[in-house]
Amino acid sequence: MFIQKGKSFGFILIFILILLLLTALPFFVDLFYQTFLTELFVWILFAISFDLIFGYTGLLSFGQALFFGLGGYTVTILIRKFGLNTELSLFLSIIIPILFAWFVGFFSVKLTGIHFVIITIIFAIIGNIIGDTWTSFTGGADGLTFSPPPFRLGLFQIDLTDIKGNYYFVLAIVAISFLFLRRMIQSPLGKIFISIRENEERARLIGYNVQRYKLIAFIIAGGLSGLAGGLYSLTLKYASAGYLHWSVSGHAVVYTIVGGMGTLVGPAIGVGIVMSLEHYLINFLQATDLVVGIALVFMVLVAPKGLVGLIQSIFKKGETSA
Amino acid sequence: MVSNLAVAILNGIVWGLIMALIALGLNMIFGLLHIINMAHGALYMLGAVVAWYVIELTGNFWIGLMVAPLCVGFIGLIIERGLIRTIEDKPIITIICTFGLMLAVQQLVLMIFGGSPRRISPPIAYRFPLFELQYPAMRIMIALISIAMMIGLWIFLRKTKYGLWMRAVVQDREMAVALGIPVTKVYMWTFVLGSALAAFSGVLAAPIVSVEFMMGREVLIMAFIIVIVGGMGNLEGSVIAAIMISLIQGVGALFVPPSIATVFALAFMIIVLLFRPQGLFGE
Repeated sequence: MFIQKGKSFGFILIFILILLLLTALPFFVDLFYQTFLTELFVWILFAISFDLIFGYTGLLSFGQALFFGLGGYTVTILIRKFGLNTELSLFLSIIIPILFAWFVGFFSVKLTGIHFVIITIIFAIIGNIIGDTWTSFTGGADGLTFSPPPFRLGLFQIDLTDIKGNYYFVLAIVAISFLFLRRMIQSPLGKIFISIRENEERARLIGYNVQRYKLIAFIIAGGLSGLAGGLYSLTLKYASAGYLHWSVSGHAVVYTIVGGMGTLVGPAIGVGIVMSLEHYLINFLQATDLVVGIALVFMVLVAPKGLVGLIQSIFKKGETSA
Repeated sequence: MVSNLAVAILNGIVWGLIMALIALGLNMIFGLLHIINMAHGALYMLGAVVAWYVIELTGNFWIGLMVAPLCVGFIGLIIERGLIRTIEDKPIITIICTFGLMLAVQQLVLMIFGGSPRRISPPIAYRFPLFELQYPAMRIMIALISIAMMIGLWIFLRKTKYGLWMRAVVQDREMAVALGIPVTKVYMWTFVLGSALAAFSGVLAAPIVSVEFMMGREVLIMAFIIVIVGGMGNLEGSVIAAIMISLIQGVGALFVPPSIATVFALAFMIIVLLFRPQGLFGE
């Protein structure tokens, strides 16, 4: 188990150090990299929410794009068409995907294995087709742009059109979400999720209502994916039907597998590595997904537990030989 | 109106037969190896792309139709031996692995073949009159070739040693091993056959649609729908479902926008998944 109570202190120390580093970073890098990092944080949130449903609960959902897109559209449409403030729009970008995740999950968790994968893809495709077709409301494939009003919370106010302000805003929310997820996974609820992944039959025999807990995991992951979508459109000031395409869920799969599923830290590292790789490769290669695809196949075959699993096994070998 | 309807029905049947071939490949692999091959659409696309090169080189469509499935079948052989073999007992991992493969193949084609769509012109240019419209004879030819292919496949599965082995492995793998059937070899040839079928249908579809690196993405989803509605592992069911769904989509598109027709097909599929996971035609 990667996360143990005894390691809590060390984790908090490292977490604070990384946070401090990231807080200082905007003073050293230019605006381009600030935007790049902000997007990276958003994808971390998307990846760790996927890790909850896949890495911890064992459900491979290709439907997360639906909730991501819904979150993005909630923020965009509420601000652009209804003139709502940013605080409430972002809050609703969690709530609305949660309601949809409830609906989708209600049907999906009745199925297992491959059938679950396929039904989640179908729901995402339906969302994508509706987004593509209903252009008067969603802007279709061209999408919608908007300009967010400042985020206010009491006396505290932050201008999201300022790249640096947006950077800190996203960083804070993603950090809080990360701690929230980590806390939840350590809680009894998290243990139930893991027990479902390890042995669904046994979890049922112990007396847990497996479908209910799967639904809970699905709803929480959906809400956080929605938040990621909301933050993404706040960062780009834009949302389009492309957000809803099921292949967006594929991003989360890539990050989680490369970094190491069921670790939370792993998917975050996976986002960092894959996105940096893509960023540098784009100079030589127009088709960056080629490397992503090969990396995915390679990791699945060689290190199915991802980079975190790989590092762990190296350390364990070191311990036994020392 | 009558002529439009006739064209829609004919198109539905032709496209349904092509989709049936694609779904048959996917379903054979699923029925035997219990693998959802996410790269199946990419192999379909690869078939069309290889055929495009062969046709550029030789100027003959029929050579392309022969060569492309052989090439893609060989690639399928490498995929099965090199990748799938090592993870065949983990269904979820194989989905992820073949998804990665799909990305890699698509992007490789984008790099080599380019992103702009290209056309393969039909080798038979003749059009016959259909009420007040004209219908390309090539499409009828495509339909006939698909039917011939399916009959060939049926004979292969029913009358040959390999076909018997394949059916035996589907029924009871343990018993098949005990009786001395080379199960891993059967797996391999099934995957090769499935890949070659995908490529074959890719070449057949090429004169109707345009050849580009993303052409397999939507087809993959349609093939999933067909396999589920027809029943996973049920090959006859796939053929019936393919023609049925294509007809409904084709004729339905005369009355409602095609995207709405697709949404209804997808909603229908969710209902099938929930209440008849064995498919409409399963026992």
